[in-house]
Amino acid sequence: MMKRKDPPGGAKDAQGRPPNTRNNKRVKVQDARNIRTQPSDAALEDGKLDLNKFLSAREFEIRALEKSMAKCKAVNATRVFQMVPRVMRRRTASHNAKRVPKRLQVQARKEMLEDNTPTVESRKRKPRTTRARIRAETMKKLRYLADKKKKKTKKADDGTVEESQPKGKGVITTRAPRPKIRRNMLNEPPKADSKFRKRQIHKTWLPTHLWHAKRATMTTPNSPLWRFAIPLTSTAKSYRPTHRASGQKGAVAWDVSYMSTIGVYGTSDGIERVLRSLGLVQEGLWNARGKKWRAGVRKWTGILSSQHKNGRRDIGPATVVWNPEPPEPSSDEVETSSSRPKKSQRQILVRTHPSCFLELFEELVKLAKGQKPQLYVEDLRFEIGSIELIGPGSTEALLGILEPFHETPETAECHASVFRSLAGVTNPASLPKDAILAFSAKDPRLAYPPKRTQIPDGGEQTLLKTLIEWPVEENLKPYSIFDRESRYQASRIPSQKSVNRRKGANAPGEPIKVTAADPPIPILLLASRPATDGQAQGTWTMLAPWKCIQAIWYCLMHYPLTTGGNPRLGGLEEQRQIAFEHGTPWFPGDFPATNAGMNWELEQRAKRRSDWDRRPKSKRLEWKSLDLGAGRKGEIGDGLACDFEHLLGLPKSEAPRTQERSDAVPIPDPAAEAMVLDPPPERVESGGTQGPSQSPLSSIETISLVTKSAFNALVKSADAEQPPAGSIVTVNMEFITRGVAKPCARIYRLPSKPKVNVVSSTDAEVPATPEISSSGLPTDLREQWLAKVPSQASGNNNTSRKGRSGAPRMPAGVDMETRKKTLAQSLLTTELPYPRPAANQVDIGGHPLCPNEDDLIGFVTTGAFSLSEGRATAIGSISAGRALETLRDTGVREGKFCIVRNAGESVGWLARWELV
Amino acid sequence: MVRLKDRYLLVNIIYTSPPPHSSSSPSPVSDLLLYNQPTTSDLRPQTILKDIRAEVSSLFGDCGSGAIDRSLQVKYLSPATSTFILRVSRAHFRLVWAALTFMHALRGRPCIFRVVRISGTMRKVEQEAIRRARLLVLAAKDELKGKSSSDALGVLLRSDSQQQRTLAIVGGQGDDDEEGLAED
Repeated sequence: MMKRKDPPGGAKDAQGRPPNTRNNKRVKVQDARNIRTQPSDAALEDGKLDLNKFLSAREFEIRALEKSMAKCKAVNATRVFQMVPRVMRRRTASHNAKRVPKRLQVQARKEMLEDNTPTVESRKRKPRTTRARIRAETMKKLRYLADKKKKKTKKADDGTVEESQPKGKGVITTRAPRPKIRRNMLNEPPKADSKFRKRQIHKTWLPTHLWHAKRATMTTPNSPLWRFAIPLTSTAKSYRPTHRASGQKGAVAWDVSYMSTIGVYGTSDGIERVLRSLGLVQEGLWNARGKKWRAGVRKWTGILSSQHKNGRRDIGPATVVWNPEPPEPSSDEVETSSSRPKKSQRQILVRTHPSCFLELFEELVKLAKGQKPQLYVEDLRFEIGSIELIGPGSTEALLGILEPFHETPETAECHASVFRSLAGVTNPASLPKDAILAFSAKDPRLAYPPKRTQIPDGGEQTLLKTLIEWPVEENLKPYSIFDRESRYQASRIPSQKSVNRRKGANAPGEPIKVTAADPPIPILLLASRPATDGQAQGTWTMLAPWKCIQAIWYCLMHYPLTTGGNPRLGGLEEQRQIAFEHGTPWFPGDFPATNAGMNWELEQRAKRRSDWDRRPKSKRLEWKSLDLGAGRKGEIGDGLACDFEHLLGLPKSEAPRTQERSDAVPIPDPAAEAMVLDPPPERVESGGTQGPSQSPLSSIETISLVTKSAFNALVKSADAEQPPAGSIVTVNMEFITRGVAKPCARIYRLPSKPKVNVVSSTDAEVPATPEISSSGLPTDLREQWLAKVPSQASGNNNTSRKGRSGAPRMPAGVDMETRKKTLAQSLLTTELPYPRPAANQVDIGGHPLCPNEDDLIGFVTTGAFSLSEGRATAIGSISAGRALETLRDTGVREGKFCIVRNAGESVGWLARWELV
Repeated sequence: MVRLKDRYLLVNIIYTSPPPHSSSSPSPVSDLLLYNQPTTSDLRPQTILKDIRAEVSSLFGDCGSGAIDRSLQVKYLSPATSTFILRVSRAHFRLVWAALTFMHALRGRPCIFRVVRISGTMRKVEQEAIRRARLLVLAAKDELKGKSSSDALGVLLRSDSQQQRTLAIVGGQGDDDEEGLAED
C-alpha cells in the first residue's frame, strides 16, 4: 500500500531511494539558505593584513548575503493559490489546481504533484452510503435502458425513413403556451427545473439563486423567508465594504425579485377610487400636481393602509406606477375626447413587500370587485422581477449593461435616449423626484463582457440640460413592461448556450449582432430618493421580466466600475444596514404597527427565545434577577421582545405556541399554499367568561401608527387632543454621549420633576444627602440625567457628582508632605452620607439610575453603531400618547431626551429622539 | 498553532592584536585593518558553540545551559570577515548575549565578541551585515586613496552613530523592537 507521503511512480534514483520530490524540495531550500563564505586566507596577503584583500573579502560577503536573500525569497513556501486575489479565494479545495484561475493552473498542478496532494474526482468516487449506492445502481440501469432505446429508435429510423416523412406533414404548429395569469387570483410560482424541483416545494428560488447560493448566506432550507430563498448576507466580510460602496465608491446590487408586483386594470375613475381607499388620499395626487404621476412619468411610494372596523391600519410600503395612456389616434375625434378620460382603460403596477403582499392583494381584490364597472387584479409576482442598486457607481453600471434595443433615430424611444444621456450621474437622487424611465433594452449578454461607460465630450452640459428639462413626456406610449405579450416574448431570450455559440462565431471583442431571435427586454427604471437625508445616495430599481433577471444580473456583476472593482452583492442584512445608516425604518422590522411587522417581531421573539433556551442555565441572562438599582429587580416585560403589549397594556401573546399549532393545521385553500406570507397564527377562541378574548396577533393588531405629520399636528394643536389609544410613532434616536443600543432596548423618557419641592433648612447643612422620593429613586434624577448633556460652554459637568460620590483623588505630581496631608484628610473625613447607601441604591457606579417603569415609552427595533454618523444610533417605536404628554409638559428640547437601556442591562444611556 | 520564536544575533569578532604570523615583521598596520581582522581558518561553528555553551554554563549553571541547548545554532560563519550569525530562542537570547560579552578569547587568541544586531528574522540581520560591510568598504576605499583615518575605532563605531541609525530607520531598516547594540 502506498502511503500518502510517497508520490506515485516507483522509479528509484541512483542511490536506490525513490525520487522524492519532497526531499528534492527540502534540498533546494537548504541549498538556498546556505550562505557562501570564504576562509580567512582570503583576507590575508601571505599571512599579513592587506587592504585590497580586506576590500575583496568584504565585497564577497556583501554579494554572498545578497544572493542568499534573493534565493531564500525565491524558494519560499508560498503556494500558487495564495496569489489569487482575496475576493477570488475559496476555502474548500483551494489547493485544487482546477479551482485556481487559468493562468495559474499549470503551476498549481506542478505544486500539487510536488506535494502529492490527494485528488478525488467526485464522479468516480465510490458510493459510500447505501443511498448513494442505490442511486448509482439506478443510474447504471437507466443508462443501460437509454442506450437500448436509442439503439431501437436508430434501427427504426433506418428502416422507415420514407414512412416518417409524410407523418411530419400533418403536424400543426401552434404558438408556444404562455404561462397563465389568472384574474383576481394568486399566481403559481414558475415551474422549476426538474433537477431543482424538490428543493422548491415550500419556497421559490430567485432567478439568480444558483449564483447567490455560492456567494451568500441564504435562508436555511427549512425556514424560508416569505416563501422565498433569500440571500441574507454575503459570505465575504461586507459590513464596512457595503457602507463604502453605498456611499462613497462603488455600487451595491440586490436581486429583489422577491418583491411582489400586482397589476390593477380598469377605468381610471375606478382605479382612483381603489387607490383612495388604500390611503392615497392626499389631494396633491389627484389634482394638477399629481398629473405627472397619473400620466405615468413619476412614481408614488408610500404606506398603504386599509379600513378596518376600528380605524385605518397600515398594510405596508408600496410603489404605484401608472401605465401611460396610448396616444390619441387623431385630432378628428376631438368631440369624443371630452368623455374619454372617464372611459379610458388604465393600468397600474403596485409593487410591495412580500410580507404584506397577501394582505394587500386580498384588499385589492375586494376593492376591485366592489367597483362599478369592475376592475380586475393580476398577481404579477413571478412575471416581473427586479434588481435594486445603490451607490455612486450604480448609474454607470446600469448604463454599461442596458443598451436601448432600437438604435435608429426613427424608432428610438424617448426614454432610452434620456437614459443614455445620464452618463456622469453619481447619485440617482439628483434626478427629478420619483423619476421613471421605461424602454426596451437589448439582451446584455450580446455585449458581454460589459465595457466601461464613457462620458462623451461636453457630456456635463447635456446632462445638466437633461436633468433640468427631463424630456420624458413627449411622445409617451404605454410601457411595454405592462404588456403581457412583450413580457412573454422577452422571457424567451436565447439560451446561454446559443449566445455562446454565436459569440464563438463572432470576431473576438465584437458585440453580437441582434437577430430576430433576440427579443427586446422591457425595462422599467425607478429612481428613488432616500426618505430622510438629502445628501444620501438614492436608489435605482430596475423592473424586468422574471426570466431576464438572471442574464441582466450576471452582466451587472461583471461590470467594471470606473472607481475599480465590480458592483457588490447585497443581501437582506445589507438592505437593513443601509436603511439604518440613512436613518430610515426598514420594512417589516421597524414597522411593528403593521401585520407584517408584527409577524416579523413575533418570529424574532421566537428565534431569540430558542437561542436563549439553548444556552446553559449558568450562561444565560436570568431576567428575574436583573438589578435595576434602587431595589428594583427584574426586567420590565419580556427581555427577549420589543414588548409593546406590556407597554400598551394589551393581553399577553403566546406567539410561538400558536404558530406551531397553525403549522400543524392543513390549509384548505389551495391558493393559500401559494401565499407568500408565513401562515398567520390561528385565531384561538378561548372560552373566557368576559366575552371572546383575542388571539395574540389580533391583540397586537390594535397597535396603530401615528405618522410624522399627524403627530406634529397633535403637538401643535392647542387643546389637549389625544392620539388614539395604543398608537405608536417611529423615531430615530441618536446617542448623546456614549452607549450602543441593541434591538429590544428599552426607551424611557426623563423622569418627571418632583411635584412638591420642600426645601428644609437642614438641607443646606447636609447638601450631599441624596433625597429619596417615595418611589425609591433620588428626587434629582432628572437633573442628574440632564447634567449628562454636554453643554457648549464646558465639557465636564459631572465633576460635582464625582466629588461627592468618591474620595478626593490624589493630585498628580505633588510632594510627599502634601500627599501625606491629603491621605490623612481622606482618612479622617467622614464621607457623607454615612453610612454609605448600599450599592445601586442611589446610582450605579456614579451613573444615574434608570427611571421607573411608568416612564417607559417604547422599544428599539434596530440599533447599532452607525458608520455614517460616527456614533450609535437606533430606530425604535415609542408610545404616541406618552411622547405627546412629555412634549407638552416639558417642551420640545427636554421632551425629546430619552434614556435607552439595553434589555438585560442596568445602565441606561442618554439619547435624543426625532420623528421619522 | 505553536510557533517557535527565535532571535538572530549578528556578532563581530574583534581582535585587538595583529595576527600571530605577521608579528615577525612589525609593519605598521592601519587601525581599520587591525580591528577587522579575519579569524583563523580552522574555526568551525562547533568550536564557537562549544565555547558559548561552556561560558553560559559557567555563568548561569545547568539551568542556563539547558535553556539554550536546543535552539542555539550558527546560521552563518565567515572567517574572512570575522562575522557570524547565531540563532537562539527568543526567551533566552540574553543568556547567550551575556556569555558572548564575557568571552575574551577564541582558540587562545584574545578577542572580543560584539553583538551588533538582534532581530527576529534572518533577513534583517543579513541586511544589517550588508550595511556594515558597505561602510567598511567605503572606509577602506578612503584609506586606499590615502586619506588615512586616524580614528579606527571611529570607523568601527561609525556604523552605529546616531546619524547612521536614523538613516537606516528612514531607509526602512532597524524596525525591530528587540534590536540592541552592544557597546563593549
